[in-house]
Formats: sequence, structure tokens, C-alpha cells
Amino acid sequence: MGNTLFIIWRESAEAMLVIGILYAWLRQQPDARLGMRYLWGGVAAGIGLALMLALVMLGVIHALGGDKLEYFQFGMMVVAAGLITQMVFWMRRHGRTLKRDLENDLARNAEKANWWGLLTVVALAVGRESAETVVFLYGLGIESQSAGQWLLAVALGIALAYLTFWALQRGSRIVSWRAFFRISEALLLLLASALVIGAAEKLTNFGWLPTVIDEVWDSSRLLDDGTRFGSFVASFTGYRAHPALTPLLIYATYWIAVVGVRYLPVKTKPANA
Amino acid sequence: MKRSLLALAFLAASATTWADLPTFKVVAKDGKLIPARLDVPAGQRIKIEVANQGKTPIEFENLQLRVEKVLAPDSDSFVVLNPLRPGTYTFIDEFHPQTAKLNVVAK
Repeated sequence: MGNTLFIIWRESAEAMLVIGILYAWLRQQPDARLGMRYLWGGVAAGIGLALMLALVMLGVIHALGGDKLEYFQFGMMVVAAGLITQMVFWMRRHGRTLKRDLENDLARNAEKANWWGLLTVVALAVGRESAETVVFLYGLGIESQSAGQWLLAVALGIALAYLTFWALQRGSRIVSWRAFFRISEALLLLLASALVIGAAEKLTNFGWLPTVIDEVWDSSRLLDDGTRFGSFVASFTGYRAHPALTPLLIYATYWIAVVGVRYLPVKTKPANA
Repeated sequence: MKRSLLALAFLAASATTWADLPTFKVVAKDGKLIPARLDVPAGQRIKIEVANQGKTPIEFENLQLRVEKVLAPDSDSFVVLNPLRPGTYTFIDEFHPQTAKLNVVAK
């Protein structure tokens, strides 16, 4: 049971993080009601995506045979990483000059595109990880001795996921809004960077990129990414105990680019940091 | 840097085809991975073919090597591993972690 709950919780944690941060941030925005519609729309789309992917994984849908699913998953990681990064920068600007901007049609259309970007981020976060959970639960259901036990596991799993979401909301109220937003920014960018290195590693697995050096270092004594805790850190931060060179360089390039853009001087009207 | 990486990529892509790699087979059945141990050559890319002969899905996984593959019941697939340093790498079926373990020993 413990293992089941851990799997359900770990897979949902990423989605809960994204939803939780966006929910807390949206509540502070003047156009919160509009934003929330996209947020929940994203959750619904994500559930739909998860179910479709689960059906593909279970061989019910034959649309993506063999390697194609891997390529699709690779694509989802890249799109998710890009959208999360873009969204983090948009979140910093959004709301500051909102009233003025919305009176301008051009700005309104640009904002709409950003809302759809938010919806997509949520949908991908929910869909990617939940697909595995659905397949896992399906297998568990077949093997379970009793339907009651299975339902209990599912219910507890959902409860755990909701707890994560709730804890984030409480956390957002304990610390100052600014502190919470800074931490959220960092968490989202870390998540995106983990997707970047993961996608780069998939490229080396496909054989499309050479690793050049297969193991740049071995830090498994510091933190072994093969353990439960280590793999958790790895999937949320991009940490690797045995990184290959090419993925490592791509990861570093991502961070250099993001930090560079973040600290570039704002060219338009000076605004409060 | 980027241009030489790209050139290397084209070279690598043209030089390797998955069909030429040393191939090993493992079967997932009744919550186990059979055989429980595979001896493989270190320092070269290898291919492991996984066949799920059970009635429930499995997830063939080794987190350190970033291998995570879900397999539906009665289906097969394969994973390609980048050159391994000598040592033992443990793969599990994440849906049956206590009973399904495969030790891949690279020499």
C-alpha cells in the first residue's frame, strides 16, 4: 500500500505544484476569474490527455506504435519546458499595466495567447504524469484481491495529492507574497530545467545526439538519484548523479539563458521589481 | 561549439543503427523479471528487448540511467542503453518493485 501511495503521490506532485502555484498567483490578479477558467480548463484537458496516453500505453489505441510514443513524450517535454519558462516571465509582467493594456485590442489578443499558454502548461503537467498513474492503477485494479482495497488506495492517493495542493496554498499565505512568488518562480524554472535535461537525455537515447562523455562525474555518494528521494530531486531539479556531457551542456545553456534574460535591464517603463 | 556538436550528431546518427547493437532479452511475467541477471559488455551501446507476458502492465525502469518504459500486457518493446561503465545496474518493474528485479552486470 505504501508503495502504491508513494507512486500516486509522486506522479501527481508535479501537477499539484504547477496548479498550486498558478492558483495562488491567479488569486492575486485583477482578472482572476478569467484566469481560473483557463486553469480548470487546463486540468480538464490534462485529464483527457492522460486518459488518451494511458489508452495508447495499454495498446488500446494503436495510433502511436512503438517509438512514436517516445517521440511524442519527448515533444511534450520540450513544449512543456518552453511554455513554463515563457510563462514565468509573463507572470512577472502580467497585471502591472493590465487595465491600460486591455483597452488596447492588440494587447488583449496577446493576453489571450498567454492564457492559452497557461492552459497548455497545466494540461501537459497533468497529462504527462497522470497517464502513468492511470496505467498503474489499472494494473493494480486487475491484480487487487478486493475492489474495496483498490478503491481505498485510489481515494488515499487523491487525498495525498490534494494535501500537496492545500499545503502550497497555506504556504502562500504564511510567507510574504513577494517571497512566495520568488520561490514559485524558482520552483517552476527548476522544473522546466529538469524537463530540458530529461529531453536532452532522450535525444542521446534516440541516438540523435552523442553523449561525448558518458559520465562527467559520479556524485552518487552525495545524492544517489537511484533512490526514491534522489529520483524525486532529480525529476524536480534536473540533478543527475551521473550526467552525460551533452545533456549537461544543454542544461547549463538553459540556465545561462534564463538567468541572462531575467537580469537583463527592463527596456520599457521602469516598474517595481 | 553548437556547429561541431551538430556535425558530431550527424556522424553518430549515420554510424549507428539499432539493428547492429548487442541485444539481450528479458521477460516480465507474474510480477518478476526473467532472467534476474544479464551479463553485458561495458563501454558499448546495448539493446535490451523487454517482453511483457503478463496480464497487467509493467514499467521497466532504472532511474539512474533514465530508463522508464511502460508496457501494456502482452506487448514487447526495447530500450537502448548508452555505453555503461563496468558495474551492476538494477532494473525494476516499478509496478511490482519488490519482486521484479533485473541486475545488468557490465564488464
